[in-house]
Amino acid sequence: MLTAVRMQLRVCLLSVKYNIMREMLNPVTFVTNVVFMILNDAAILVQWFILFRLRGDIGGYTMKEVMLLWGLTAASFGLSRVLFTRVFSLPELIISGKLDSYLVQPKNVLLSVMTSATNISAIGDFLYGLILLVACGFSVSRLCLFLLFTVTGTVIITAFALLLGSLSFWFVRADMLGNQMVSGMISFMTYPDGIFRGISRFLLYFVIPVGMAVYHPVHIMTEFDVKMFFEVIGYAVLLMAAAMIVFYRGLRRYSSSSLMEARM
Amino acid sequence: MEQAVLFCENVQKSESDRIQALRLHESKYHEGGGIAMYVIKAEDLSKTFRVRVKEKGMRGSIRAILHPQVKEVKAVDNVTFAVEEGEMLAFIGPNGAGKSTTIKMLTGILYPDGGSVNVLGLDPIKSRKQLAHRIGTVFGQKEQLWTHLTPYDNFRFFGAIYDFSDKETEERIEELAERFELEAFINTPVRNLSLGQRIRCEIVASLIHNPSVLFLDEPTIGLDPVVKENIRELIKQMNRDYHTTIFLTSHDVGDIEKLCKRIIIVNAGQIVLDDSMEHLKRHYMKQKTQQAKDGNQPDTSGADISLEDIIMEIYQAEGRRIE
Amino acid sequence: MSRHTYGVSGRKYVVIYRAVLMENLQYAANIAMGFFGYFVFIFIFIKLWDYIYQTPEELIAGYTKEQMIWYVMMTEMIWFGSNTGAVARQVAADIRGGNIAYLMNKPYHYTLYILAKYTGEWSIRLPMYMLLAVAIGAAMVGAIPGFRLATVPVMILCLILGITINAVFKMCISLLSFWIEDATPFQWLYDKLILVVGTVFPIEIFPRTLQALFKLTPIYTVCYGPAKLVVDFSGEKCIEILSVQFLYLAVGCVLMFLIYRKGVRKLYVNGG
Repeated sequence: MLTAVRMQLRVCLLSVKYNIMREMLNPVTFVTNVVFMILNDAAILVQWFILFRLRGDIGGYTMKEVMLLWGLTAASFGLSRVLFTRVFSLPELIISGKLDSYLVQPKNVLLSVMTSATNISAIGDFLYGLILLVACGFSVSRLCLFLLFTVTGTVIITAFALLLGSLSFWFVRADMLGNQMVSGMISFMTYPDGIFRGISRFLLYFVIPVGMAVYHPVHIMTEFDVKMFFEVIGYAVLLMAAAMIVFYRGLRRYSSSSLMEARM
Repeated sequence: MEQAVLFCENVQKSESDRIQALRLHESKYHEGGGIAMYVIKAEDLSKTFRVRVKEKGMRGSIRAILHPQVKEVKAVDNVTFAVEEGEMLAFIGPNGAGKSTTIKMLTGILYPDGGSVNVLGLDPIKSRKQLAHRIGTVFGQKEQLWTHLTPYDNFRFFGAIYDFSDKETEERIEELAERFELEAFINTPVRNLSLGQRIRCEIVASLIHNPSVLFLDEPTIGLDPVVKENIRELIKQMNRDYHTTIFLTSHDVGDIEKLCKRIIIVNAGQIVLDDSMEHLKRHYMKQKTQQAKDGNQPDTSGADISLEDIIMEIYQAEGRRIE
Repeated sequence: MSRHTYGVSGRKYVVIYRAVLMENLQYAANIAMGFFGYFVFIFIFIKLWDYIYQTPEELIAGYTKEQMIWYVMMTEMIWFGSNTGAVARQVAADIRGGNIAYLMNKPYHYTLYILAKYTGEWSIRLPMYMLLAVAIGAAMVGAIPGFRLATVPVMILCLILGITINAVFKMCISLLSFWIEDATPFQWLYDKLILVVGTVFPIEIFPRTLQALFKLTPIYTVCYGPAKLVVDFSGEKCIEILSVQFLYLAVGCVLMFLIYRKGVRKLYVNGG
């Protein structure tokens, strides 16, 4: 069992390494993609400077907390797209029958698929997250918490995308829904939870998993809370488990490219 | 086209026929009476796809949204056959006949809707990973290699996939590179290789773990005649040196004729013919001669009858029957 | 270079436009799926402005809360309603993929062909988003103070000009693909500029010195102009914005033709 896990990890790491090697073939493009993504993210700060000129707090957040929120979102989303970017195009893989080559390998299908490509600009997102953390007060303990929550955030975002993407095994049109929900999630992640009240707050904790991905972590990093801490970790594990169950259920309905052939 | 229909006399229709087909097969190839070692066994294998149908034009689009029409297509319909160890089998049929769907069920890619599959004593669905260790697959139209890496790096990656240590992989690469003459380009990035070299590498990549059964889905598609010949040589060599069972689909009669001793023809999801190449030709020839004697057809017994003609006639006869 | 009659007759572009329009009509249901993303944005901004405006009568940079929200609804409507692949992704793909070699010898001007295609694409999307915006506005925001139906035609003209100017500038960036491998990072920066400065709030909210600077950028004509006319119409403003738009369109087109000519020449020299 342990060897199997080790072997699996070896393949995943090799896969990520080869992906990055591929993108590095053109160093100029590589660097511009990373740098421009950092600039692109940083441009949003303008919006927040303006908003904080109007009011001292936005939804109970100070500028520093908004930066932390942004930092966590950028780092989690970035890491998710560096390691598992294929999960965001899962519907396309399912519909056009591109899972075949992973199914004939003696390795975990899901991991092989998810790690089979990378997104270079996402490295910029990840770095930007770290830059923001440094900008709004660096300490080793904060860095540790930040990295931990980046991992849980990555798990939650990836699981959410996996869950929605797997719906394509059942409905062809699910790809649009998935994309919309994931980008909606990212939008919500970059605004303070204090502006959402009542039903919308409930939705952000229980339907679109924004609360556990970033709101809780920001609160914990502002003021440590053991209960919240374990809630985040438990939530990430449960959501991923649920997403994997749905994926493997759906895999039974996988039709490869046969549907395309039949359509012709 | 009566004569072609005659060829399809061993179309399997009923349950007992099917079982008989298996026995028949056994007796045909093991007249000595030994117990055949089957590496692939499919019984009553079926797969149905639900396809959305859309009428033409704007009105059709709207109607498709409001009342989606679903049509069931039986891609594979009660297929039964068995393949012995070390055999080289051609599994052919017109486009959309169900070849790829069958291969995908044998390799664990698709869940069958009905019937049973057994490959190397394993159920491809339940023991997908275990089976993957022992079979190799080459899908001619789909590339499994990383194009920016060299074949060597690719083989290293596949070695890791099959849980080889770096040293084991190294040895294996050396052996395969020498045997299949890849040394000249093993350190050139795949994207700079010619199509023929690339396919060679694709095939060798699927041999890295020394599979007992190799599934080749149109391996020579898009290659020039010289390279095709080259690939066929490679496949033959594999079968000879490693006793690898070859399960081949191809539209190229050359592939079939030069490689396979046995042929299965499928059409509309059903097996219409399962015979040895030799038997097929002999039988056909006899019929032609008979017809010539009866005066129905010009005497062609003296002329060379190509396999292509035979296959074509079977396809056409089947097509007509289905229409 | 062979002589074509392109540009002389505009009819072929109308034909292209119509064909794309018909094709995209089929995708109406897919477009509607994108409503969710729009709704999320507007929802967030309603909540945000609800929080920032402490009393209903308060004015921020001269805007009431309703005007502020309608402003972002209009700019986001332009953003979502005109966000299709033709000017950015397709041009870059045509150039990098080598398809351009076939397209540039067709009897039309490539850039105008893309613009016609693009217009065909947003002609379906934008009205759909317009209806959505009106529905959300009516249900969640309330009427715009001082809005008059009679001014709608000129607003629509301004809107069409704004989208076209945006397309021309985005095309200019895409045409950089003749020289660089990947122009998308520049697209992001341009988009971000439009988004941060012109989309989420009106220019008046920025410090005065910056406002003057922003008036010199395409932002003023692409999203601020049309949205401003919707939430706070005045005859003066209208004439000012429209004249700046025509000026920008002319400058943008000249730039676009120039870049394209240089790019094609480079292609001939280097043979793709």
